[in-house]
Amino acid sequence: MTPSISARRVGARLRLVAAASLAIMAACKSNEILNVTDPDIINPTDVQSSAGATAVRLGALARLNAATSGGSTSSEGLFLLSGLFADEWNNGDSFIARQEVDQRVITTANTFLTDVNRNLNRARLSGSQAIQLLQQYNPTGPVADVAEMYFVQAYVENAMGEHYCNGLVLSTVSNGSEVYGTQITTAAAFAAALAHADSGLALITGTSTADVKIRNALTVIRGRILVNLNRHADAGAAVAVVPSTFKYDMLHSQTTNDNQIWSYNNIARRYSVSTGEGGNGLNFATAGDPRVKTCVGGDAVCVANGTTLKVRDDNSSSPLYVQLLWPVRDASVTIASGIEARLIEAEAALKAGNSALFIQKLNQARTDAAIAGLVGNLTDPGTAVAREDLLFRERAFSLFGRGYRVGDMRRLIKQYSRAAESVFPTGAWHKGGNYGGDVNFPVPQAEENNPNIVAGKTCTDRSP
Amino acid sequence: MTSRRVVRAVVLAALLGWSIPGALAAQAQQPGSISGRVTDAAGLPIASAQVNVVGNAQGALTGSDGQYSIRGVSPGSVIVRALRVGFAEQRKTITVSAAQATSLNFTMLSVAIQLNPVVTTATGEQRRLEVGNAIAQVDAAKTVAQSAVANMGDLLTARAPGVVVFGGTQTGAGTRIRIRGTSSLSLSNNPIYVVDGTRVEGTTGSSTLSVGGTLPARVNDLNPEEIESIEVVRGPSAATLYGTDAANGVIVITTKRGVAGRQQVTYTTEQGAHVDNNSYPDAYRGWRSGTVANTSTASNTVQCFLTQRASGVCAQDSVTSYNLYNDPESTPNGVGYRQQHSLQVGGGSEALRYFLHGQWEGEAGVLKLPEFDQRYLARKGLTLRDEEKSPNYLGRVTGRANFNVALSPKIDVALSSGYTAQDLRLPMSDDSGVNGVAGNTYGGPGFKYNLSPTGDTLFGWRQITPRDVYQTFTNQNVQRFISSLNGNWRPNDGLAFRSNVGLDYANRTDTQLCRFGACPDLGGDSRLGFKVDNRSNFFTYTADASGTYMRRLSEPLQSKFTAGVQFNRSEFDRNGASAIRLPPGAVAVTAGAVKSADESTSDTRTFGGFVEENLAFRDRLFITGALRTDRNSAFGANFHTALYPKLSASWVASDESFFPHFRWLNQLRLRSAYGASGVQPGTIDAVQYFSASTARTESGDAPAVVFSTLGNKNLKPERSTELELGVDGTFWDNRVNTEVTYYNKRSKDALISRILPPSLGTGATARFENLGEVRNSGYEALISAQLLQRTNFGWDVTFNGSVNDNKLVSLGGLPKIVSSSTQQQREGYPLNGWWTNAITSYGDKNGNGIIEYNANPTLSEITISDTAQFLGYAIPKYELSFTNGFDFLNRRLHVSGLVDYKGGMKTYNNTERIRCASRNNCSGLINPNASFFEQARTVAVRESPSRTVGGFIEDGDFIRFRELSVAFNAPEQFTNRFLRGRTLAITAAARNIGILWTKYKGVDPEAFGTTGDAPSEFQAFAPPTYYALRLSLGF
Repeated sequence: MTPSISARRVGARLRLVAAASLAIMAACKSNEILNVTDPDIINPTDVQSSAGATAVRLGALARLNAATSGGSTSSEGLFLLSGLFADEWNNGDSFIARQEVDQRVITTANTFLTDVNRNLNRARLSGSQAIQLLQQYNPTGPVADVAEMYFVQAYVENAMGEHYCNGLVLSTVSNGSEVYGTQITTAAAFAAALAHADSGLALITGTSTADVKIRNALTVIRGRILVNLNRHADAGAAVAVVPSTFKYDMLHSQTTNDNQIWSYNNIARRYSVSTGEGGNGLNFATAGDPRVKTCVGGDAVCVANGTTLKVRDDNSSSPLYVQLLWPVRDASVTIASGIEARLIEAEAALKAGNSALFIQKLNQARTDAAIAGLVGNLTDPGTAVAREDLLFRERAFSLFGRGYRVGDMRRLIKQYSRAAESVFPTGAWHKGGNYGGDVNFPVPQAEENNPNIVAGKTCTDRSP
Repeated sequence: MTSRRVVRAVVLAALLGWSIPGALAAQAQQPGSISGRVTDAAGLPIASAQVNVVGNAQGALTGSDGQYSIRGVSPGSVIVRALRVGFAEQRKTITVSAAQATSLNFTMLSVAIQLNPVVTTATGEQRRLEVGNAIAQVDAAKTVAQSAVANMGDLLTARAPGVVVFGGTQTGAGTRIRIRGTSSLSLSNNPIYVVDGTRVEGTTGSSTLSVGGTLPARVNDLNPEEIESIEVVRGPSAATLYGTDAANGVIVITTKRGVAGRQQVTYTTEQGAHVDNNSYPDAYRGWRSGTVANTSTASNTVQCFLTQRASGVCAQDSVTSYNLYNDPESTPNGVGYRQQHSLQVGGGSEALRYFLHGQWEGEAGVLKLPEFDQRYLARKGLTLRDEEKSPNYLGRVTGRANFNVALSPKIDVALSSGYTAQDLRLPMSDDSGVNGVAGNTYGGPGFKYNLSPTGDTLFGWRQITPRDVYQTFTNQNVQRFISSLNGNWRPNDGLAFRSNVGLDYANRTDTQLCRFGACPDLGGDSRLGFKVDNRSNFFTYTADASGTYMRRLSEPLQSKFTAGVQFNRSEFDRNGASAIRLPPGAVAVTAGAVKSADESTSDTRTFGGFVEENLAFRDRLFITGALRTDRNSAFGANFHTALYPKLSASWVASDESFFPHFRWLNQLRLRSAYGASGVQPGTIDAVQYFSASTARTESGDAPAVVFSTLGNKNLKPERSTELELGVDGTFWDNRVNTEVTYYNKRSKDALISRILPPSLGTGATARFENLGEVRNSGYEALISAQLLQRTNFGWDVTFNGSVNDNKLVSLGGLPKIVSSSTQQQREGYPLNGWWTNAITSYGDKNGNGIIEYNANPTLSEITISDTAQFLGYAIPKYELSFTNGFDFLNRRLHVSGLVDYKGGMKTYNNTERIRCASRNNCSGLINPNASFFEQARTVAVRESPSRTVGGFIEDGDFIRFRELSVAFNAPEQFTNRFLRGRTLAITAAARNIGILWTKYKGVDPEAFGTTGDAPSEFQAFAPPTYYALRLSLGF
């Protein structure tokens, strides 16, 4: 049968449609249709330049800021969590994960613990990436920039050694791929920190303002690391060159990152300055020490400083103690200083048995701090134990809230043979139940996703 | 595999098309036509009946007069079929003569079955019995007319087995839908939505601003008044051809169409009120010596708790309790009002049918300014703005214009366009921290006359009262346009082409404003005000085309082959701006002293092709095989194409000659389907990248870059396969209809947000990897029966229920995932299950009436497991609904009630947890008459080292009286004579009438926000009861 004209027309139309479809398909390769550019991200190739390297360097500083006095409104940085675990802060909210830390019964799944650990490692990785990029794409740039990145690494690795159990991990990302680390001891962490501090110091030979600042910062952190390694004489000698006026600050602003110590204590009232916590704790809130000024929620000083509510976030019956060391959201926080250098010298003198120098350095730290009402009138208490107590009290008040206290408490156990239960808060916990026995942070459970870690064994031991 | 496979599929289709014309030519003669009228047994016309020529693509809809006409029919003997919901299918054989009109009338007999005999599939409409899946349907038009339906959540709740709807509890709150359980550990478990063939945005939690837990969902932008029907495609076995992203099911929405015939105008108004009838918990206070009520602060300090009393720390002088919700002076709850006015116009001819609809609605929530706050403001000479006095309000205007145009007997197009403009105000509520309404009502001190720091009486509120809370003004404005253009071309009776292009555009502006000096004084800058203004655009594009070739392969065997391509694109962009420290009078971001801005974009595209072959053997055995292939912009660089196969069979066994015939059995159908579908990863989940940051330096803020994520080049879609088996039957003169379905859905290559070890230092905490496997299996059943059908009395019942067994089969070798202190993901257990240390025993050993913890196990009156235990499902495992309907007065009066049950899950009473743990006002902490269980869980969370919240994760089972409605259709003579109208319908309805039974001790087992797959009641309101009166007058 011969097709009719209309059928032939239909056939012709169909062929036309099919051919057109195929032509469109061929023209519009699906790869092109599906090719999407997302403006929200920065590709790895975008940082492979001098400007890119500088941006990554600044990113490392931002990471260090978040890891220490920064953090976020939902999860605090190391300084707060560390002080909560020690005797600087009391928990003032209903979050169980914070209460675990305050009570020294930290579980490895603790979200705040995990966040702090991530932030520390982020700073470490960013520092490492910045060094690589600066050396490759800005080799003639200021060496202080590179040296500062070594400071970031050294600072973080030292802080991790001070806070975590044996078994902590230092992984990295290399050429875009993950390189999983293995578990190391805290001593190994201090050794890694020392190596990075030395690398930074080796680079920096100039006398520019930046050079001096970063050299001092590296020197102070080197001294701190040496103290942790029980090399007090070396530490004292190292930091002697650092002037008391030196400060290396974490800077805050409303548009970058608030000072979260101020935010969590003064505004959110999730933290309260502690006093005599668990019997062994120092009386930070009530000592009236000008280095740790406080007010009580609802009093005129607190209201004048912007804390208008009277009670802690959890309405607990304990008073709300508010710190005034950082009374505004953009108050900067000193993380390495000449005052710390003097305290290191004092400890070196104590260890060397030179009591006079010990007291002299302590008083120098007080007078050089130039804090109204703080005078250098300490006298030798006369006994070794009392001197140790004095040293660590001076350190605690001079360095309050900046992540020193846990390391100091662990050193009291390791280097000064104190019993853990005579150092850390103990006995009845203020919200019910008793304090636990933790003397350090466990490595978070999330680290079990590292193939080198055995499930349930994120710490090789929990010894001080 | 590359896109060449997609092209190959299309080429195959094209080649088939190439061979068609010869076949066509053999048939080519001058066509004839078929026309006639479809009526019911009483001779009344039946509108919108589908009249189709069996075995080809030709058909027509009847107009309001029951008339239809099918033109261009090839001469010869043809079978013509008439289908209409509520009537038995009719088939007739006639001979069509060349170039002549053939008359064919149908008289259809009504049946009890209310299921539509036609369902919408990805390749077009198809008879229900030809499909191997059970596709749930909701007769939206009827439901809206007879119930107090305010939004899409109301429309879908308890209507379809296997479909669990979580509604919001405030006006404008979102709806979250889960179909056949949760399948994805890390990706969205939301179904996708298709409106008139076009994909539309349906995300939950659709806001950039937090007011606690309550957030809108975009599906609620759709107006139920404009919807004709909803079909729920429940799993991959049915959703295969919808492609990547359809594994969680597809909700197919068809809007109303005009019916050919005289223009019909219908005005509808709905007036309603809603009230919060729920019982909220009392706040307690244990008084000890030295405390005086009117000098106490807002805090619950210096009390004497039960365990303190037991240990001798203090003595309880007295215990008081106060419930501000029960005090007219203090309660924030009032009467919410809802009103709606809409006008529908429909009609047209065979050549052009139209449906036009416009509606205005306004709904104010139940939250009001308490009396004491009103007095306070009056005393101070202050006032709140109108919008602040009614902080929860939804105002919406919607419009729709649908046109169906028959350009020729072979070509028709449908243009569907809908527009929504709405403003939604939500108050700070739920978990809004210090300044939320519920946080302040639940946290009160247990007496009425407590004082604020400034000496104002708080009337039992915790710290802040509504006169301050409501001054944080949060608004979401949405302008949304959904449009589609659908074309059909039937060049011959065996060949049909469909195409569809569609756009869903939504512009969302989220604003939050607290003027200078207006916000609660929370310290810092809080009194200086702030403004947030975030503007987002959502574009969802759909373009698809397909061709279908139908032919009879042999006398008993009919073939339908379809091939097509589809492109979907979902684009989102947002600009956000915010400022703090506003000057007096300022309301704009630009006025703030400290400003910030942000930008966000995402773009996801899917390009796919499919082929499908349907074989029908003697019109009783139907086999369907299909293959869909997709490429997607979010797949990793090393993964290119996803392939999704499908195979289904439907067998009407009772039509076989060998099948024994019983008087009580009308039809028995066996069906089975297997298919696969997927869920795609996020836009940039596969790539490695850095992110921008800002660093504070001594010279100011400086731009910085931080490493963000490693990416995953091997990323591919999550793939779900599903086997479905079912038996459908109709019995006793079609008065009873049953559907029973078993399904087994496995999601392999499940995307697990694999936690990255913190030591790596990446910004991202996790990376998507295709590692896991999740299984959902269960049963679904639907039974509907017309128990009595008399002139003046009828009784029908509908029962639907489902059981879902959810299990995380594999985590791909990863350790358990601890999602939170109350949730873990472990192999062998359901996704998002509740896990925490459990209270294993408690008892008053020393007989002092108080449960106490002691570190010494022999003295402790409570024991707690050492490790986290599985406590239960987070979402319902069982759901049942039972609807009773009664007809009176010759079906003019219809009364129906719906009761539904949800069970098998635990609900976290997080409100009571915080009351006991830190608000210090719960019964278990203070009340000497509290049960030992209440005391035990309080002691567990406060005093045991575990600090477990396990005692607050409670049985969540409940039976709710969901709906009651009375609908009356006035006699036509009355309407015509007294109102000069055509129809008059009046409906009185109530919704969320109350909980009939529950073990849950909190306010309400559905009192939670709308996000997450493990909802908890955390300082949330319970759902209010809605009462509505609806009047609809047609002309």
